[in-house]
Amino acid sequence: MKSPITFKVAKDGIVLSLDPEANFKRIKDALRDHVESATNFYAGADLYINIAESSFKIDQLNEIVNIARGYKDVKNIIFTSDVINRETTDTLEISNEGETYLINRTLRSGQKIKKAGNVVIIGDINPGAEVVAGGDIVVFGKIRGVVHAGAGGSDKASVTALKLDPTQLRISKKIARPPEENSKNKKLQPERAFIQEGNIMVEKFEI
Amino acid sequence: MAGKALVITSGKGGVGKTTTVANIGTALAMMDHRVCLIDADIGLRNLDVVMGLENRIVYDIVDVVEDNCRLEQALIRDKRHKNLFLLPAAQTRDKTAVQPEQMKTLVNELKEDMDYVIIDSPAGIEQGFKNAIAGADFALIVTTPEVSAVRDADRIIGLLEAEGIKDPEVIINRINPEMVSRGDMMSIEDIIEILAVKLKGIVPEDQIIVVSSNRGEPVVLKDNPKAGTAFKNIARRISGQEVNFISLEDKSFFTKLKKIFSFS
Ligand SMILES: Nc1ncnc2c1ncn2[C@@H]1O[C@H](COP(=O)(O)OP(=O)(O)OP(=O)(O)O)[C@@H](O)[C@H]1O
Ligand SMILES: [Mg+2]
Repeated sequence: MKSPITFKVAKDGIVLSLDPEANFKRIKDALRDHVESATNFYAGADLYINIAESSFKIDQLNEIVNIARGYKDVKNIIFTSDVINRETTDTLEISNEGETYLINRTLRSGQKIKKAGNVVIIGDINPGAEVVAGGDIVVFGKIRGVVHAGAGGSDKASVTALKLDPTQLRISKKIARPPEENSKNKKLQPERAFIQEGNIMVEKFEI
Repeated sequence: MAGKALVITSGKGGVGKTTTVANIGTALAMMDHRVCLIDADIGLRNLDVVMGLENRIVYDIVDVVEDNCRLEQALIRDKRHKNLFLLPAAQTRDKTAVQPEQMKTLVNELKEDMDYVIIDSPAGIEQGFKNAIAGADFALIVTTPEVSAVRDADRIIGLLEAEGIKDPEVIINRINPEMVSRGDMMSIEDIIEILAVKLKGIVPEDQIIVVSSNRGEPVVLKDNPKAGTAFKNIARRISGQEVNFISLEDKSFFTKLKKIFSFS
């Protein structure tokens, strides 16, 4: 039987949709199970509960909120009926958030990888290529394209590479661009980018 | 004896694909190979003009595919070399007039009788490109030392890999030694570092190319020291000879070249 709750990662948070056909107890049970098994994938994110087409009593909504509070470090819980705007076509299926994907080649211009979990690449990310991950991105090579770690809204995600020279680097909702004067330095210097006090920081990565 | 089919492609338009096909085709024919050039740029045919064969066209590639004529009837023999042929594109049709499967059959048939079949690809990544690569065994990517051309070349390499055409090689066209030494142009090592494929040749910016294209006489026909030598060297590398990269007199240019040897 299909689950009465579904999740989508949208630009500004996570959208939880409740099946309007399902009975309330099934929804509650499914949500409780999910909260219990969830990792900190939701940390720092807003949770939008999409109640479009469903009709709930006020105390039922209360119960749902109380269960959803169990997600670790969720920022805000927001009810919404506006599915279309939040669920961009850019949604990720987040059922595999704990998994790590290994990609054993260079990503070339026009190639895009999008995974809910962590992404490890053995090869380069060339200009014009893009990697989006719900978790961390680790590249045994050079990043020159666009990378987005913590795409589900996790501020704890990081990006690590043997050379960090991205066109654009995003973590969670933060966006960083490298300085305009392009680095002529071709030497490999492992670096890690992460969010600290609300800003994307880059530190040399000591092995 | 079956020959090899080679596609010359680029992604970005106007980087010198047609010029390259005409010149390496002619150079291979001058080395006594049997060569057929295919203009796969249907709707924008050019190769016949650059080869100076426009006024001999009776049938074209679409006529062959649609069975209006036999393949041999559509082949135009070059006016200078009897072992060089051109299968022209149709000018009044578009890319959809030919399907990749048909192209493959056609190329395979030509390979039976030729040492080299060289296919001139249209710009872009759409059906025209797919047709052009359909029958190819190998690919040569032409790029210029510009960021956008290199980006497109990278994209094309990715698409070729996905189509199972392995290890494409790159030709860097329109290198201007003074600009490179001033640092105003992407250097060869920058380009090879991004594309991570083997360098097949470097062709300098050369005014004579424009003149020779207009006259329908590929530069390799004359003793042209710059672009002509570069294209001849590429042809020799294609036929399996080891040829050093040309130095172009300029010292700093030469140093740059030496660096790539250690790179690959
Ligand atoms: N090395 C060079 N030096 C000077 N001019 C060049 C050189 N290579 C090509 N050109 C000029 O650049 C123009 C474009 O070349 P060409 O037609 O071969 O490109 P193309 O890649 O086949 O273009 P298209 O994508 O439209 O098919 C022509 O006018 C040609 O004479
Ligand atoms: Mg052309």
